[in-house]
Amino acid sequence: MPGVIVDSVTKSFGQNTVLKSVTLDVARGEFVSLVGPSGCGKTTLMRIIAGLESVSSGRVIIQGEDVTGIRAADRDIAMVFQNYALYPHLSVRQNLMVPLAMRRLTAAQRLPFIGLYLPGARNVANGMAADVERTAGLLGIGHLLARKPAQLSGGQRQRVALGRAIVREPRVFLMDEPLSNLDAALRVQTRMEIVALHRRVGASTVYVTHDQSEAMTMSDRVAVMMDGEILQVASPEDIYVNPADLRVASFIGSPKINTLPASIGTDHMVRVGSHATGLSGDVAGEVVFAVRPEDIAPAATGIPARIEHVEFLGDCLLIHARMSETGHALISRVAPGQYPSPEPGTTMRFQPVAAKALLFASSGKRLAVRVLDATQPVRAVNG
Amino acid sequence: MADAVFGSATPAPPRRLRRAMVSDAAIAWWLAMPAILSYLILILVPTLAVLALAFTDYDFGAPSFRWIGFENFAEMFGDRKFKAAIANTALYCIFVVPLSIGIALLLAIMIEAGARGRALFRAIFFLPVVSLTVAMATVWQYLLHPSIGPVNNVLRAIGLGTPNWLGSSEWVIVSLGFIGVWENVGYNLVLFLAGLTAIPRELYGAAEVDGAKSSLSKFRLVTWPMLGPTMLFVVIITMTRSIRVFDTVRTLTQGGPNNASEVLLHTIYMEGFHNLRFGYSAAITLVFLACVLVLMLVQNRLIDRKVHYG
Repeated sequence: MPGVIVDSVTKSFGQNTVLKSVTLDVARGEFVSLVGPSGCGKTTLMRIIAGLESVSSGRVIIQGEDVTGIRAADRDIAMVFQNYALYPHLSVRQNLMVPLAMRRLTAAQRLPFIGLYLPGARNVANGMAADVERTAGLLGIGHLLARKPAQLSGGQRQRVALGRAIVREPRVFLMDEPLSNLDAALRVQTRMEIVALHRRVGASTVYVTHDQSEAMTMSDRVAVMMDGEILQVASPEDIYVNPADLRVASFIGSPKINTLPASIGTDHMVRVGSHATGLSGDVAGEVVFAVRPEDIAPAATGIPARIEHVEFLGDCLLIHARMSETGHALISRVAPGQYPSPEPGTTMRFQPVAAKALLFASSGKRLAVRVLDATQPVRAVNG
Repeated sequence: MADAVFGSATPAPPRRLRRAMVSDAAIAWWLAMPAILSYLILILVPTLAVLALAFTDYDFGAPSFRWIGFENFAEMFGDRKFKAAIANTALYCIFVVPLSIGIALLLAIMIEAGARGRALFRAIFFLPVVSLTVAMATVWQYLLHPSIGPVNNVLRAIGLGTPNWLGSSEWVIVSLGFIGVWENVGYNLVLFLAGLTAIPRELYGAAEVDGAKSSLSKFRLVTWPMLGPTMLFVVIITMTRSIRVFDTVRTLTQGGPNNASEVLLHTIYMEGFHNLRFGYSAAITLVFLACVLVLMLVQNRLIDRKVHYG
């Protein structure tokens, strides 16, 4: 069941096209992250879904209703802004009350002083107060209701911003880098809380972030954006294991995926330098051979590379090396203890796990490969 | 002094500390001295002199003076001119303050919302502030001239009455008020523009998402409260500027006709520099100061409590 459909939306600011025919659909109750480097258009896309920005062409459909021409106030969406955008002159209680008052009270009933004495206003106000209490309780900010935003810590403000968004149970929940102003420890904790909150509220959620670990850990699906385009929308696992584009493969994963220049010969064999990789491809030519650091490890045979330095991270060892033939950087992640710590300056051979390696055309498109496990023994080294 | 602060190698720490502290205080006093002195000489002493003069019958150039207690004040309350000045100044303020603030706020919001021409409009509306009022007064005199002035020419052309703007007692305060509004709008506009620019854009986004549909409800939810500190400042500045109205009155009407545009500062000026009655003039000045002081106190008490600061 569709929650939000973004249908070939294009957005230009003057000469500058920031969104190029973007299409995305978010199911009801689904949590989708928009992730990408800054300037990729993810915040613009979110503001278009919110109705804070107009489209140049294309449509936005929320639960079957075309809302392209409808303003934000009428879209029944809620948004958490990057710097929270709390009303600084209002108490936490009043901040949470605003979205309720705007929808449940008439303009006359919202007037200061006399508004509450108009017929019906009292009842509505009592209902609103109850909703605010309930939301505040849910977020653990009940004791802060009388305070002003300036008297709150960053984490508390963040909760108030979340509370203001969920208090009226919107159809769609939009979050624009809500954790970027928190410190690292709080970020990880709040990440889990937002996921729990999402399960509880159950609204379609679009979450904008530049932090791939947020996107990967929180989402049902991740949409990777770059240069105004969505390159791939898939589950976190799919994005990681099966990237459709070299840019997706490079953006997701830390340390970055190794990308080595390779070629497909007339015999269809994929070679990195002179080293056969155990893969075969269809079209001869220059390609990019990509393998994640955990899928390449020191071995008796393989690609020769000079060790530059070694990082010990406790649960693993990161070996930074440089290919002897072409000088390309190479990172290998291995379990500690499995190898004697390699000496910087020495040359070792690194064997990629052929079954896990990826092949991309020089345009960045993913290429189909076959694993030739008969001719090239594949040794899974570390996962 | 510098020696003491940066410490010669005196071995006993507590004494050194004490010496350093004493000289810190001394340095603070020295640094504050220019400000203290100029405050004393330029503000406090003259104010005290005015206070003292107000209780004398001193005329400028007179060989002696007498202490006459509250006689000056008693005279004031029987003085038709003074009473007219109080009433006219109040009227002028009531006219100028809300109008110049309201118009400036409206213009500022329109300019801020507009896509282009911000600098141009700001410059245009700020022009009256930087132009010399005395020089501009001649322009106003021409514009408002009862027979050859363009204003009345237009009114005549569309068949309306042609009042004697600066020469009739029922219109003169209104005319001066308009000029006052014209003078103040630009200044307030620039202050409001600065205040509006400081409001985070995201608050309007939040207001929109929260369901504030009309510009009026966004204004009430975001603009108005966020402009609080600017508004307080603008109100105080405009109030003091209009209670001090003088140059247009002096150049255009000299308080006439028949005291209809007599204002406090003009009365003080006439009594002091024209009639050379320094004692009486000082007494009126004292009343003027009291008015300003009371206004400021009331405003601060009333508004400051409601204003949210960043």
